[in-house]
Amino acid sequence: MATIKHTGGALFQSGAERFLAAALLLFAAAVTIAPYLWMLSASFKTGQEMYVFPPTWLPTAPNLGNYIEVLQLPYAGQQLVNSLIYAGGTTLANLILCSLAGYAFARLEFRGRNALFALVLALLMVPTQSQIIPVFLIVKHIPFAGGNDWLGNGGTGLLNTYAGLILPNAATPFGIFLMRQFFIRVPPEYEESARLDGAGSFAIFRKILLPLSRPALTVLAILSFQQAWNDFVWPLILTSTRDMGTLQTGLQLLHSGPDTRWNVVMAAAALITAPMIIVFLSAQRHFIQNFASTGLKG
Amino acid sequence: MQRGSTATSAYLFIAPALFILVLTLLLPAVLTIGMSFTNVTFLRPTRLVGLQNYITLFNDYRFHQAVWNTIVYTVGVTIPTMFLGLLAAVAVNRRFTGRVAVRTIFYLPALTSLIACATVWLYLYEPHAGPLNGLLSTLGLPRQLWLQNPNIALGALMVVSIWRDFGTAMVIYLAGLQDIPEYVYEAARIDDAGSLTIFFRITIPLLSSVTFYLLIILIVQSFQVFGLIYAMTGGGPLNATSTIVFQMYQTAFGFTRFGYASAMSTVLFFTILLFSLIGAWVARKLRV
Repeated sequence: MATIKHTGGALFQSGAERFLAAALLLFAAAVTIAPYLWMLSASFKTGQEMYVFPPTWLPTAPNLGNYIEVLQLPYAGQQLVNSLIYAGGTTLANLILCSLAGYAFARLEFRGRNALFALVLALLMVPTQSQIIPVFLIVKHIPFAGGNDWLGNGGTGLLNTYAGLILPNAATPFGIFLMRQFFIRVPPEYEESARLDGAGSFAIFRKILLPLSRPALTVLAILSFQQAWNDFVWPLILTSTRDMGTLQTGLQLLHSGPDTRWNVVMAAAALITAPMIIVFLSAQRHFIQNFASTGLKG
Repeated sequence: MQRGSTATSAYLFIAPALFILVLTLLLPAVLTIGMSFTNVTFLRPTRLVGLQNYITLFNDYRFHQAVWNTIVYTVGVTIPTMFLGLLAAVAVNRRFTGRVAVRTIFYLPALTSLIACATVWLYLYEPHAGPLNGLLSTLGLPRQLWLQNPNIALGALMVVSIWRDFGTAMVIYLAGLQDIPEYVYEAARIDDAGSLTIFFRITIPLLSSVTFYLLIILIVQSFQVFGLIYAMTGGGPLNATSTIVFQMYQTAFGFTRFGYASAMSTVLFFTILLFSLIGAWVARKLRV
């Protein structure tokens, strides 16, 4: 609703109503952001100040000690590398596999196309969290991996490996669906001349359609990266050694001990949260629009 | 180009993605159902046990509690999340200074990882050094053991979920609001409809398919809540926050009773599938 002069149009009319609405909105924004402010405040406090009563709102002597301590934690670097490999690998795999499959479903004719696409849509509905046990067992029993025999027994399979981390997220029904919807809207004229020149399906995909699909690929990349970067449950179940953990499992371990130093933990939480917020702020246009049109990512 | 070679390349393009989907979505769904009729564990050879797991399940007091907690959590998270999401969407859909900033703030929690959210809220709820109890003391109110009191722990977790998810609901509602053509509002204004009338007679009915979509998504998501519980309460105190997926995780990875855990998973799977199918069916009805 734009600004309206006519009475009886906008949701909030009189000055008092408008003031009340603005105050409510401001209050809601303050409540929403308060946990972040508390996190930041605590992350700059010293260990002593954390237990001052009543608690101070702002650090009396702000210092970067907690951040330096977090960066020097054993495994912090390793966990960052693991998170980057997990998120980067998942993103790359999704970009390749989902765009190839999406292209075939949108543009190529073959027997069983509708049935296979119906299967992809049906798999959209499979609740992933409730499938975690069999996925774990399957990844453990991949033949020839991690000392397994050809029947998938005897070894640890892909447990504690990057391949095991990435495999279950390497392609998603949602990603295939997203790419297909995009390719279907590209006018066929783009590929016709190339097809007349005798170009094969892959050449057309690679040279013509892929360069056109940058907006869709951007969305897919952001969503895949965010999903894997923020993922906790799969790394928790798949990895059992500290050097294979991600930043998320590392953060969880940091506060699961008996004497948690919350100022250090808050510095770690701030460092883990920052990248996604920076990515969001720099790509806000894509994010809001496409999240909106594609819905929740579970 | 011959049809044959196009079809061959099509299969080649689809094969890798489909392989992943079959291996990690279709096969697990089938396996779960199969395993639920066995006593599979790492400790002894597997054998079929028929419906034994399901019989045990229906007499398992702890599972009953987990189901109840899951239902309370799902209802208690879904409705407030949608309500706040709708309010926020209507609010930031108007033009005012600072609109983008407010919208971004509302969306921040959705960008923050589950564990970072859980970690920050663990600190906020901390009984001694935590800011929330500090705030209560400053106001002269009694402190609370937010996550240690069985009567309020589940509620405290629900607050975290609502805080984290209402921004996503807002974004989806915003898309719905932008699909409502301006002339609908203009017509109502010409008829001198009041602002509340417009909200209840136009905005809400025209958003009904969005509302329905959100409802299903949030129910399916809440039914599977696990990470938040694992990170914040571990199902405690006294199982007050144990949910179906959390108990499934404990049964499988804590007690290595994979067969029994699969029975839980199967019950959950079909419950969620039922909701998804109802959702798909109603969504189709609404659109036609």
